[in-house]
Amino acid sequence: MSEALLTGAPRVTARGAGRMTGAVHAEWTKLRTLHSTWWLLLGIVLCTVGVGALTTGSLSAGDCLARRTCDEDTVKLSLTGVWVGQAAMAVFGVLAVTAEYGTGTMRVTLAAIPSRLRVLAAKAVVVAGLAAVVGAVSVLGSLYLGRVLVLDAGFTAEAGYPPIGLGDGATLRAVVGGVLYYVLVALLGVGLGAALRDTAGTLTGVFLLLYGFPLVAAMLSDPDWEKTAKRLSPTEAGLSVLATRNLEALPIGPWAGLGVAASWAVGVLVVGWAVLKGRDA
Amino acid sequence: MTDTQTPPVTPYRSTAVPAGRDGFVQLLRAEWTKLRTVRRWGLTLLGAVLVTVLVSVFAATSSKVQFAGGGDRGPEPTGPGGVRIVDSFRYAHQALPGDGTITVRLAEFRTGEGSTPEWGKAGVLIKKDAAPGASYAALMLTPGHGVRLQNDFVHDRAGSNSPAGEPRWLRLTRDGTTLTGYESADGKEWSEVGAVTVPGLTGTVQVGLFVASPMVDTMDRQFGSVSVSSEPSRSTAVFDDVTVDGGSGDWRHTDVGEQPGGDGQSSGPVGGEGESSESGGRFTLTGSGDIAPAQYNTDLAAMSLSGTQLGLVLIAALGVLFITAEYRRGMIRTTFAASPRRGRVLVAKAVVIGVTAFAAGLVASVASFLIAQPILKANGHKPPRFPELQLTDGPVLRAVLGSAVLLALIAVLALGLGALLRRTAGAVATVVVLFVAPLVLVTTLPIGFAQFLQQFTPLAGFAVQETLTRYDHVATLCLPEEGCYPQGPWIGIGTLLLYAVAVLGLAVWRVRRRDV
Repeated sequence: MSEALLTGAPRVTARGAGRMTGAVHAEWTKLRTLHSTWWLLLGIVLCTVGVGALTTGSLSAGDCLARRTCDEDTVKLSLTGVWVGQAAMAVFGVLAVTAEYGTGTMRVTLAAIPSRLRVLAAKAVVVAGLAAVVGAVSVLGSLYLGRVLVLDAGFTAEAGYPPIGLGDGATLRAVVGGVLYYVLVALLGVGLGAALRDTAGTLTGVFLLLYGFPLVAAMLSDPDWEKTAKRLSPTEAGLSVLATRNLEALPIGPWAGLGVAASWAVGVLVVGWAVLKGRDA
Repeated sequence: MTDTQTPPVTPYRSTAVPAGRDGFVQLLRAEWTKLRTVRRWGLTLLGAVLVTVLVSVFAATSSKVQFAGGGDRGPEPTGPGGVRIVDSFRYAHQALPGDGTITVRLAEFRTGEGSTPEWGKAGVLIKKDAAPGASYAALMLTPGHGVRLQNDFVHDRAGSNSPAGEPRWLRLTRDGTTLTGYESADGKEWSEVGAVTVPGLTGTVQVGLFVASPMVDTMDRQFGSVSVSSEPSRSTAVFDDVTVDGGSGDWRHTDVGEQPGGDGQSSGPVGGEGESSESGGRFTLTGSGDIAPAQYNTDLAAMSLSGTQLGLVLIAALGVLFITAEYRRGMIRTTFAASPRRGRVLVAKAVVIGVTAFAAGLVASVASFLIAQPILKANGHKPPRFPELQLTDGPVLRAVLGSAVLLALIAVLALGLGALLRRTAGAVATVVVLFVAPLVLVTTLPIGFAQFLQQFTPLAGFAVQETLTRYDHVATLCLPEEGCYPQGPWIGIGTLLLYAVAVLGLAVWRVRRRDV
């Protein structure tokens, strides 16, 4: 931390692009040197892959394939773990900001880098980068296990289920979309963390946002209300990108859904920036 | 102790402090003071109550009943005791003025086209009259569950596990209001299935043979969507060697009741009208329908308590913070210095947070129920298609109190996790992953995994909100979408209780061994 500040010090006087890289470097050092970061990232991978494997492992095609109407989306099922892993991902994003407020490091950070926009942008860049790497590992790992387990469950090529592979356009969209979704969830955490500052409060807020929407949507028995709620929900809309079959049954198109999630993330980041700028640390 | 001696001094201990300040009551008081004086925590509790009530009311507001077939079908038939029932079957019967016995050989019992209903019924039946809902006792063979003795719709007693493919002798004896069922493989050696008292069977009753064949529900369940289709079934039973002692009058053939229309969509006989014929003492009966209690699909009480699913996030955060905040600020060292028996401190914390969460939960669930019920009724959830619920009904009271217990146990579990992990973020995230993520996911996971989650994870606690009576002798689909937990309310909340106690126990053990 102190070393980063020292080496960063001369750059403060130098104007230009170096300032942003300095800020990013400082954020990277802060995140890298915390044990909790690596535990969390490991947790994300384990949650995603584990829940995905439990889901595909519990599939039984036997009674389902007997009827021709059964049409399981094996790719989406393999990626069920994203629903759980996103909780850890949100924690990762939130902690990147609120942990600094908790310990008072934020004041030092802002003293070293007075531009609030640059601090928030640097945090967002580092968090998003790590989220993308970890997201890719989680999603590809889930998909690989899913490929094996789904075959075991009897979803074979003869039954109309070609083996899961990245050559398929829809599957590739699910993978890329899943990774992007993870990045967006982490950014949502960063934004909300900057807006609320308190760890417990921010986590409650981010979980209510991620899981509350789909829960409320499930309670609505009026189909129109339910569809509207699902379209607005960052989770339901965002994760529609994981679907590879039955796209017409989705509340919103895959990429449009990811767009909803992105709007949430950007919106919350802007609010976070406004609070960071307007309020004392 | 003379005045010349210098008394032993303990200068740092005030004499104003009463003895036994490490007592459990003092601990409770200390913890309650901590909880009470943090303003933000009070607001969190208030928030939990508000979120619970608002979400429940919102769910109730958005629910509208849609009648696909249009129009009321008139009052549903009710059986003895006012239970909503299905009572339609093919009946070949004669009058029985006094005591008597009917003995038959069920030679053949086969299902027609389509799937076999596991609770299809063929056998002998003594009924007050041929009107739907009249009191009865019946001894029957079923395709899936062997020989059964049933009476007045809700009572069921198992006989032998005889398969429907083999001939079976059945005998039902009336002695006043006591009816005794016997069965036999060969008509010589009889074994008693059981005796039941049916208060409604007084005076002249009807005695005869019957066949009923209920709707068969099949389910298509995919990721995120479920469709249940009901198709009628039709079964045929052939009886020979029919003897009725004490019967009088001719045999009559009746289609009792109206055939059940799937969810009020059709009013005509679904399986077609029954047929029966008699030639030389050999009776052949074909029919559809069922003799059973009707099942409600929508659990109105659980629906009006659905806000608990979101309120729990705030309660869990509070439970976690109640201990992790002390670790964060270093307050825990003071706490443990003041009362070095750490296990007791943790138990005192659990009692305080549990009781507080229970109180808040009770306010929230009673308010949710009282506000949501009129809204649901205004939206069309009213008798006769839906039950009229009162807060004082047994199952409703269990659901409302149970929701408060549910929140209390979640708070204790969260406290235990907080003590184990010592980190706010980790503990809150764990509780959310344990409760909220599965609640979202059960509707989309494969049914086997979803029911595993419902039965064996802390999620099981939500079973306590169920108020629908499920009968073992009626085939039903238990769908996670409809909030059906396979294990029943008491086992469900018991599972959560075990989890809470286990996590708290682990936390006590860990806190006593580890440095602060």
